Amino acid sequence: MALGKLLKNKLCRDIARFFHENQSSIDTPRGIAMWVKEERPAVKKALDKLVAAGMLLDHRVSSTTGYSYTRDKKLIREVGKQLKNKN
Amino acid sequence: MKRKIKTLDKEKRLMARIAATFDLKKVKNAFSRYLGSFSLWLITGEVCEREKIKPELCKTAKSGAPKERACLDGIEGVVKKAGRSKKIESFECPFRRHGFCYPLVYDGEAFGYIVACQMRNRPDKETLELFSYLIETGVRGIRKELELEELYETIKPRAVALSTVHTVHRLITSSLYLDELLSRIARLSMQIIRANRCSIKLIDSKKKTLLPKATVDLRTEKTKLKKVKIGRWAPGKAVKYGKSIRGDKYLATPLIDEDIIGVITLYDKIESQPFNHSDVEIMRTLAEQAAIAIKNAQLYKEQEKLTMGSIKALAQIIESKGTGIYVPKSSFLRIVQLIGQEFKMREHELKTLQYATLLHDAGELMVPEKVLKKKGKLTNEEYRLIKEHPLKGAKIIKSLKSLKSIAPIIMYHHECYDGTGYPKGLKGSDIPLGARILAVVGAFEAMITKRPYRVPLSIGRAIEEIRKNSGKQFDAKVVEAFLKVAGRKDIVSLIRKELYGAR
Repeated sequence: MALGKLLKNKLCRDIARFFHENQSSIDTPRGIAMWVKEERPAVKKALDKLVAAGMLLDHRVSSTTGYSYTRDKKLIREVGKQLKNKN
Repeated sequence: MKRKIKTLDKEKRLMARIAATFDLKKVKNAFSRYLGSFSLWLITGEVCEREKIKPELCKTAKSGAPKERACLDGIEGVVKKAGRSKKIESFECPFRRHGFCYPLVYDGEAFGYIVACQMRNRPDKETLELFSYLIETGVRGIRKELELEELYETIKPRAVALSTVHTVHRLITSSLYLDELLSRIARLSMQIIRANRCSIKLIDSKKKTLLPKATVDLRTEKTKLKKVKIGRWAPGKAVKYGKSIRGDKYLATPLIDEDIIGVITLYDKIESQPFNHSDVEIMRTLAEQAAIAIKNAQLYKEQEKLTMGSIKALAQIIESKGTGIYVPKSSFLRIVQLIGQEFKMREHELKTLQYATLLHDAGELMVPEKVLKKKGKLTNEEYRLIKEHPLKGAKIIKSLKSLKSIAPIIMYHHECYDGTGYPKGLKGSDIPLGARILAVVGAFEAMITKRPYRVPLSIGRAIEEIRKNSGKQFDAKVVEAFLKVAGRKDIVSLIRKELYGAR
């Protein structure tokens, strides 16, 4: 799904904002659910969508998955712009 | 000076919040019961700015410049008075109307005022006390709210960093395979520090050189793997002195467990930022965790070598007791591994598959030697014994706890994709992937090696046979992967070398 369309969803937007503000962060779905104050299963779904859109990177191990922000400068600028517009 | 600026900033934020959230209209309506009709407004600032309050003045005050000046003088006077006394002050204006001024105080300084005027009667003491109490409680609530927000803003970055450290710890301690682990540590380090390149080097056995083990560069796929002498360049110095070596464009952090085992070096932060003290601290924490994980993975690798050695010895026993036929193990192990990689199998799954490849005919130990070595056609009874070997093999392997996971592969490696195999007649994806892979590679092995009952096929013919049975005896996807692997020049030459002793 295109990033713009994805960021219309509030949860995806909140997650995007968290990573945009904390670009060095790597966190599990449980941790991110705490930051965005949402339920873990919904957060997990949103995270996977954001990974598919290239905005997040996933680091999978058998017991959990860590998510981190993209390193693509162009994409980071685009996310920043989208978040500003949606404010 | 700094403190004053900080205080001013707080006052401004507090005033902005009061202006945005304090509903003076509601306050006015509530007090009109006691005070009659009156006007109430907020002065946002330490001093009374005349221009700003002009719109709030009554009709009488606005009816001429002298009256306006007299009114503003009166308000300015009471504002100054309240600013000095830090408490509510009442006044009477030049037009015989009454009012009061309540100072908003922070840290002993008035930073704004609430002014009420145009009352017909002088407000009584109780009403003024009630008003003061109400405003004070409201302002206190807003202050608390702001303080909590400030606290949250201060704590949040630390909590996020702590959560990141915890997550990284989980991610790196979840991997026991050294190569996978080192590459993961490199990627996570780059992510946290926002660097473009990371290299992990480990000390060689002579403790003189650092050997490159993992290098990740976001800007290029081609990376140079360079050895570095201990004491040279930033990585070598970090190891020699046992401390982080930082430059604007690099940060080398030693990996210290009980002693120094290697170094993580990061290069070029994104946006050309220089590496800073905070990066050094973060990498020190990460390197501590990484060193423990690397040590564990090295120990695990040693243990794996021991296990592999034992399995190879066991395989040789099986081979000598079974058909007695030499099997080119290295090439089949390589083929199995490459097919597994085509299916994106993880390191431990590949290991399991390799063990199963070596032990897949363990059940032949339970089949009489004369049946295994018989040159002519098998009787029904002899064929039944042969068909039982996967079950028997799985039973033997199951008794070894550490090899339990390979039992299903051994049990089902003679199942056919179309359901015509043995021992259970499983079909399609009901057959474990490892067993489907082993079925193809096992058949290939059987065709190209000597058997008592027939001459071996050439490599090309055997590959053709596998292709013919794709989708019937064998899983088409596995055959596709097999053809890709078996067609590789290095694999063909490895098989030839093992089978015929020549390239």
